[in-house]
Amino acid sequence: MRLPVEWIREYVAVGADAEALAERLTMAGLEVEETEASEAGAVLNVKVTPNRGDCLSVIGIARELSALHALPLTSPQAPPSSPDLPPVPVDIETPEDCPRYAARLVRGVRPVESPGWMRRRLLAAGMRPIGAIVDVTNYVMLEMGQPLHAFDFDRLRGGRIVVRRARPGEHLTTLDGVQREPGPEQLLICDAERPVAVAGVMGGVETEIGVRTQTMLLESAHFSRLSVRRSARSLGLHTEASYRFERTVDPEGVVAAADRACALIEQIGAGTPDPGVSDVYPMRHVPSTLSVRPARVSAMLGFRVSDARVAETLRRLGFAVEGPSLMVVVPSWRPDVQREIDLVEEVGRVIGYDEVPERLPAGGTTQGGDSAWGRFADRLRDVLVGVGLQEIVSHSLLAPTRLEDPRTGGQRLPIRSALSAELSGLRRSLLPGLVEAAACNARRGQGPLALFEVGAVFHRGDACYEERPRVAALLSGPTAPTAWQREARQASADFYMAAGLVQHLAQRLGVDEVALEPGDDPRLHPGRRARALLGGQALGWVGELHPGVRDDAGLRERTVAFELDAEALMAASDRRGPCRALSPYQAVSRDLAPRVATDLPFARVRAAVEQALSEVVEWWGLTDLFEGTPLPEGTRSLTLSFRLRAPDRTLSEAEVLEQMGRLREALERSCGATFAA
Amino acid sequence: MDELLDLVALAEDEIARAGSTVALGQAEARYLGSRGSLQAQLRSIASLPREERPALGARVNAAKERLTALIAARRAELGRAESDARLRAEAIDVTLPGRPFPSGGLHPLSATARRAKQVLGGLGFEFVDGPELEDYAHNFAALNYPEDHPAFDEQMTFYVDDTRLLRTQTTALQGRVMTGRRPPFRIATLGRCFRYENVDATHHHTFHQVDVFMVDEGISLADLKGTLRQFASAMFGGEVQVRFRPDYFPFVEPGVDYAILWGGRWLELGGAGLIHPSILEGCGIDSERYSGFAFGLGVERIHMVRHGVSDLRLYLENDLRFLRQC
Repeated sequence: MRLPVEWIREYVAVGADAEALAERLTMAGLEVEETEASEAGAVLNVKVTPNRGDCLSVIGIARELSALHALPLTSPQAPPSSPDLPPVPVDIETPEDCPRYAARLVRGVRPVESPGWMRRRLLAAGMRPIGAIVDVTNYVMLEMGQPLHAFDFDRLRGGRIVVRRARPGEHLTTLDGVQREPGPEQLLICDAERPVAVAGVMGGVETEIGVRTQTMLLESAHFSRLSVRRSARSLGLHTEASYRFERTVDPEGVVAAADRACALIEQIGAGTPDPGVSDVYPMRHVPSTLSVRPARVSAMLGFRVSDARVAETLRRLGFAVEGPSLMVVVPSWRPDVQREIDLVEEVGRVIGYDEVPERLPAGGTTQGGDSAWGRFADRLRDVLVGVGLQEIVSHSLLAPTRLEDPRTGGQRLPIRSALSAELSGLRRSLLPGLVEAAACNARRGQGPLALFEVGAVFHRGDACYEERPRVAALLSGPTAPTAWQREARQASADFYMAAGLVQHLAQRLGVDEVALEPGDDPRLHPGRRARALLGGQALGWVGELHPGVRDDAGLRERTVAFELDAEALMAASDRRGPCRALSPYQAVSRDLAPRVATDLPFARVRAAVEQALSEVVEWWGLTDLFEGTPLPEGTRSLTLSFRLRAPDRTLSEAEVLEQMGRLREALERSCGATFAA
Repeated sequence: MDELLDLVALAEDEIARAGSTVALGQAEARYLGSRGSLQAQLRSIASLPREERPALGARVNAAKERLTALIAARRAELGRAESDARLRAEAIDVTLPGRPFPSGGLHPLSATARRAKQVLGGLGFEFVDGPELEDYAHNFAALNYPEDHPAFDEQMTFYVDDTRLLRTQTTALQGRVMTGRRPPFRIATLGRCFRYENVDATHHHTFHQVDVFMVDEGISLADLKGTLRQFASAMFGGEVQVRFRPDYFPFVEPGVDYAILWGGRWLELGGAGLIHPSILEGCGIDSERYSGFAFGLGVERIHMVRHGVSDLRLYLENDLRFLRQC
């Protein structure tokens, strides 16, 4: 809201310059975003918070300055109208929507221009001068905060005003030329027959004043905040009037504003007001009374404020303060002040928060630190950063995409009335964000692309919405693309790297081994995809992106990824038992080289080995895999290495042979393995 | 007799001249081997008179020992030289770049969050997580938002249905925590928030906030100011000054907008205030006995201030050039 300083000075004699006023207002909670120059002198551009509608006017700002500078405040003067001579009948059908409605008549309206001083002030405030009558309504709204509307009285059928909700089938063309069909919730101003304005928002064209208007009806009314907000929103029509009604308009200032407007109209020769006013006030404002304890004020602000200072500060803001216990009557323009704490704020902000000292809270408390999930998420990050992955953070809103698998992600959760198609729902997978980040960086020629993210995914469950944390990573193309050594430069991410990462992560988190079995995720290469299982339960997936999916995303190199349920990982982490004593005895190393069918999954070999292991096997693993000549087609040779050691003795050759024989036999029996002679 | 002396002299000369361990090996075989010259000398003892035999035997053995020692010394010398030569031949250009090790990094928001958590943890604040998909009750109603008020206009909201929404502020956690606890407590939360906004250099539909609140007896604006100063000093370094300015948030009263003196200018960081007594009462906390403060700020904002970043969009674009600087 823009207001010229000289207009404010008409009501409070502040001497300070515009910059100083701006600073003082800002420090009292009325942020002046900037001061500007205009033909009406310096202009303050004030950003009024939603609770302070009373400050959306010259008088509102002047009142604040009078309190801040301890200067007297004057009010706009006008000869009072007489309620004994109501010029028009006014019916209010829904007083809760319209607690008060006042109307005055101005006869002999002349289509003159408003005077230069008024036009300059309006322009400085950002309003276009139109003609004297409309200008006066705008001027008084800016000055007193009360929106006004001028009707051409001769076009009001039946010469009366009816305030009521819209009826089915009614329509109205508003001043912006749009034909509107108000809903049954909307409050209208009507004449005897039809709607003539949307209450508190905008008038209609049929009763608009113009050059031929002879008699004008001036409306000054109080509409309820909720009613006007409802209308403005459902019509998509936001005006200076609706803006003020949605916040605060002083119900007690209704007639004063009408009188001020009539006085100005008469003063500038635009018409002759009738002395009477129709003032229908079915829901009278009842002032609220609060008690304020100065000790409480001091306790909340953190510094001592005397009783006298509390009383004086509140009085300057227009509160009536009575008695030693400080009973405070809240003025009609301050509905935001509802309890003692609001008065504490009033006192504090007028005195200035610079007086608040600094102190550290004393006393007992809960123990500080990160949450269990926060700590676990940091461990996930540290492990992945430690093996050279870069963390990314992508946002949670996205369009439907092939990069989400509906079978693992559940039903998509759309955003109601989304900003755009690109942001129309919540992510069910972290993969789209990783792919997008990788593709953007690939387009810019940046690598290596080894990325991960920790974040929540969402879906619609059977009866509720699910929000689950996940961890996912993606590696695309060479892992060291800028190396000058060829073998390093050419090493590229592959399935086993992703699988190894998952195993490394599990290992570092103290999670039991994660099992991989062939998967069916359509986003992934049909021959290179796996389901990850933890204790037989689904944990996530690992795989190479399907080349078609990858191409569509703009990634040219082979791309592998995994995505795991972080909550399940957290639940399974750190389950290891106590440390065992180290055996002082020599270990024995032995290899087995079974030859098996190429299409026999290694998982079968693993299962066979694990069945046949005894506790003397300290470690075992696959240490080589060979295919091709001289082996027959369709077979491959594995090297399985075993380290045997007992905690309490040196193993005898017979024990070693017995164990290796059992392993060999198990492989022959359940994997059809053969061994070279 | 002279024959032995000559032989030893010859051998010493040859050992000294041997240029490689191979040549030395040949010399060793020639003089000390089973078919070597000294062995031949020993065999010749048989032809001597009995009384001369021990003397000659002793001399030959002494010569053998002497030559063996010389050979060992020479072998060590040659071995060192040969190994030196071999290592010299293995020289590489140590000024070539090293093999690039994959070096990962935290996202700047994670790094900033971690720092904030450490500082607040040290001040006794316990972090609690709340859902990103919130309900209207916690995001607005429990936070004292008046029904259908223009205060909502500053909190443009993504709704999923009539009652569920993406939280617009991490403050939404307050009600969740306070209904389950009795004072005193110091709580903080950090996470993702959403607002229905078009994206530009200073606005984003997705951003991150840290929200901090405590409730105890006798908490005032002074405790808030002191805590904020402590927090800001730890986050931004040095002795910072904190300035309060009145502002409006439905969940605090008095409401405060706080700024720190940074680079000689007041820099607004976020909103704060005393927790509105209606909120405490709504959570079953006696607002006469207890009071509390709350403050919040953007995680992006902290990083932007610390590192001089001017475009908010960078944080969710994941350009490696940006991420690697942090």
